[in-house]
Amino acid sequence: MLDLSAPYVQRALLEMLLLAVPAGVLGGWIVLRRLAFFAHAVGSVSFPALVLASAWGIAPQLAALAAALGFGVAQERLGRVQRIGADAATALLLVGALAAGVVLASDVFESGTEVDTLLFGSLLGLSATDVWLTALVAGATVVLDAALRRHWLGTGFEPAGARALGLRPVLAERMLLAGIAATAVVALGAVGALLVTVVLVVPAATARLLTDRLATLQLAAVALAAVEGLAAVWLADALNVGAGSALAVLGGGVFAIVAGATALRARAVPAS
Amino acid sequence: MNSAGVVVRGLSGGYTPGRDALRDVSFTADPGQIVGVLGPNGGGKTTLFRALLGELPVRRGEVELPGPPAYVPQTEGARLDFPVSAFDVVLMGAYARTPWFRRVAAGDRAAARRTLERTGLADVADMSFGVLSGGQRQRVLIARALLQDAPVLLLDEPLSGVDSVSAARIESLFAELRAEGRTLLVATHDVRQAGEWDRVLCLHGRQVDFGRPAAVLSPETLRETYGAELIVLEGGGRAVGVGHHGHAH
Amino acid sequence: MLGWLTDPFASPIVGRALLELLILSLACGPLGVWVLLYRDAYAAESISHGMLPGLVLAALAGAPLLLGAVGGVLVAAAGIALVARDQRLGADLGVAVCVSTLLGLGGLLALSPESPPRLGELLFGDLLGVSGGDLAVAGALAGGVALALLAGHRSLALAGFDRGSAPSLGVQPLRWELVLLVILAVTTVAAVQGLGNLLLVALVLAPATAARSLARRLPVMLALSVLLAAVAGTAGLVLSFHLEVAAGASVALCAVTVALLALLVPAGRLTH
Repeated sequence: MLDLSAPYVQRALLEMLLLAVPAGVLGGWIVLRRLAFFAHAVGSVSFPALVLASAWGIAPQLAALAAALGFGVAQERLGRVQRIGADAATALLLVGALAAGVVLASDVFESGTEVDTLLFGSLLGLSATDVWLTALVAGATVVLDAALRRHWLGTGFEPAGARALGLRPVLAERMLLAGIAATAVVALGAVGALLVTVVLVVPAATARLLTDRLATLQLAAVALAAVEGLAAVWLADALNVGAGSALAVLGGGVFAIVAGATALRARAVPAS
Repeated sequence: MNSAGVVVRGLSGGYTPGRDALRDVSFTADPGQIVGVLGPNGGGKTTLFRALLGELPVRRGEVELPGPPAYVPQTEGARLDFPVSAFDVVLMGAYARTPWFRRVAAGDRAAARRTLERTGLADVADMSFGVLSGGQRQRVLIARALLQDAPVLLLDEPLSGVDSVSAARIESLFAELRAEGRTLLVATHDVRQAGEWDRVLCLHGRQVDFGRPAAVLSPETLRETYGAELIVLEGGGRAVGVGHHGHAH
Repeated sequence: MLGWLTDPFASPIVGRALLELLILSLACGPLGVWVLLYRDAYAAESISHGMLPGLVLAALAGAPLLLGAVGGVLVAAAGIALVARDQRLGADLGVAVCVSTLLGLGGLLALSPESPPRLGELLFGDLLGVSGGDLAVAGALAGGVALALLAGHRSLALAGFDRGSAPSLGVQPLRWELVLLVILAVTTVAAVQGLGNLLLVALVLAPATAARSLARRLPVMLALSVLLAAVAGTAGLVLSFHLEVAAGASVALCAVTVALLALLVPAGRLTH
């Protein structure tokens, strides 16, 4: 049974609750703007940075942020090459980062468990700083969303005409990507570099099945992410794994159920 | 009724069941005739071609063809970043008759070279398709259709946005194909051009009219075809529609 | 100097690893070019990432990795196909959910048992553990892939170049798009032993990216891709021997480096 008095449990529960906020707020945008692959990549490329941070004793969040920034710049440049395309560019940078991380890790780490923790997350490794940073990011994403909603909607809907409408597409876009990157960075500890999408994408995708109104989607996603997150802590503790794997299975399961149910309901009501 | 031409009777159909993009099209095109197909965007020209190619998901009515038609699409559909030369593209016209385990026959390769010369593209045969001009690309696709040696050719706006050199080349090609007894269906916005051909078919979701240009190309028919206030340029040039009401596209 | 290059291959273990990589180059090289031309990089990434649970289950059950790979790929492909159909979500999003669920499930299965299977080898490959039997299997699979791509060359070129006209020229685009995905799945199964499910996509995409940048004509691209894959594989092995780092990751990193270097060459500098 989950020991609610243990500090690590309390931090984990709090962390998952706080992560639910950007999961829903930004998740809605990720769904709308087709940024799922980007979210996955920006989490994964932090892996070598985390290895180095562990070796050099610097703050992992800082290293991860640097990696995310580097990735963002490189992906933008590389993705413009017509012969390659954005997806291939992302995939190459992602796999390159993972390979670099493994090469570094064989020097830095003795056993494989540290690598597993970095990739799939850990319940035990969360410090108070991690939780504070997550709270900060959660607040920031709410503010960003309120301020830039209009821009993100306009640019997403019709990029060519956005500037004419008085929007600042480039800056607003960068802020969206930065927000996603920041959320990925603070989620790394709990869910791991490979599974950032279980926080940022899966709950929002599930919510998308239930509604197509953005605000409702975001709220539903926050609620889903919160409930799933709490349950994930319980499951992760029971199985002694990181929260990432547990949340992945729970989130995926919920998604499958909702997808099945809504598909059946659609079939039951004949299209006019 | 000439069995070597194109015969269409009561053709209707579309892309989804219950929503016809084309209704009640009936016409006959004899061998050696060029038929101009006029109509607004979304009016059914491309749908008709798809139907004749046997690619329309929902189709009712009868279509008689002397053989599988060759299709010259608008060049926008082809990928410009694909690593194929003009020669490679023309050679694709022979793919249908080459079994998968054989190389394309030497005879077909020679024919491809000749076809490139015929379309005035001998110089650029080995250049990448994507770097050619719009007119040159159009001629490459026509050359590909020529290589197929089909009795019927369907051309989707082959002259739109094409430079005058290419256009002249293409039009003289039409004359040659006509003399060879092939049937051409050419979708176009150029009313003047259509007026010079053997028959005109006007489509706007359904068949508005079909027949000789002199009979069909009246202001009333054109208005009904384009469903809008028509601006007919001096000398009966391009039909430009200015719509009062929304078109269903 | 030459000794530095040939020393690693004195050992039969490394010799087999080299052979494995050369065999894989025959399949991954040309396949990668087609994946890039068909813009299927995301699919390649997803299928390889999503096969993890299959690999883990095979490892837990003591069954051959090949079985787990095939099962894993089938489940991943089925899941992706199922979820990609949903109109509301769009293909990318459904795939992201499917992949992260499967990755997480794999992590859960691997990290929860008392005696966990060697997750690192599943993720990053066990290039130096390749046996004669493994080579035979890889040879059969890679040979099949190479032959299939050769036989289907014209159809793939036509369907990729001009999807709209392909049917009138005797080629059904949907069929060939599917064939390509099947070939991709088979190649994934072949490559997972040596490079692991996270890194194998490097050998598929990176040499092809380089070839695409350097060559102008398709047949040259395909051949160059094989060559560059072989070069990257050899270089990776040599470096991993001398620097004492993980072999698979070293190969992947070399491949990505080759790709990035090739992208620096201005377009048109190398003709043909």
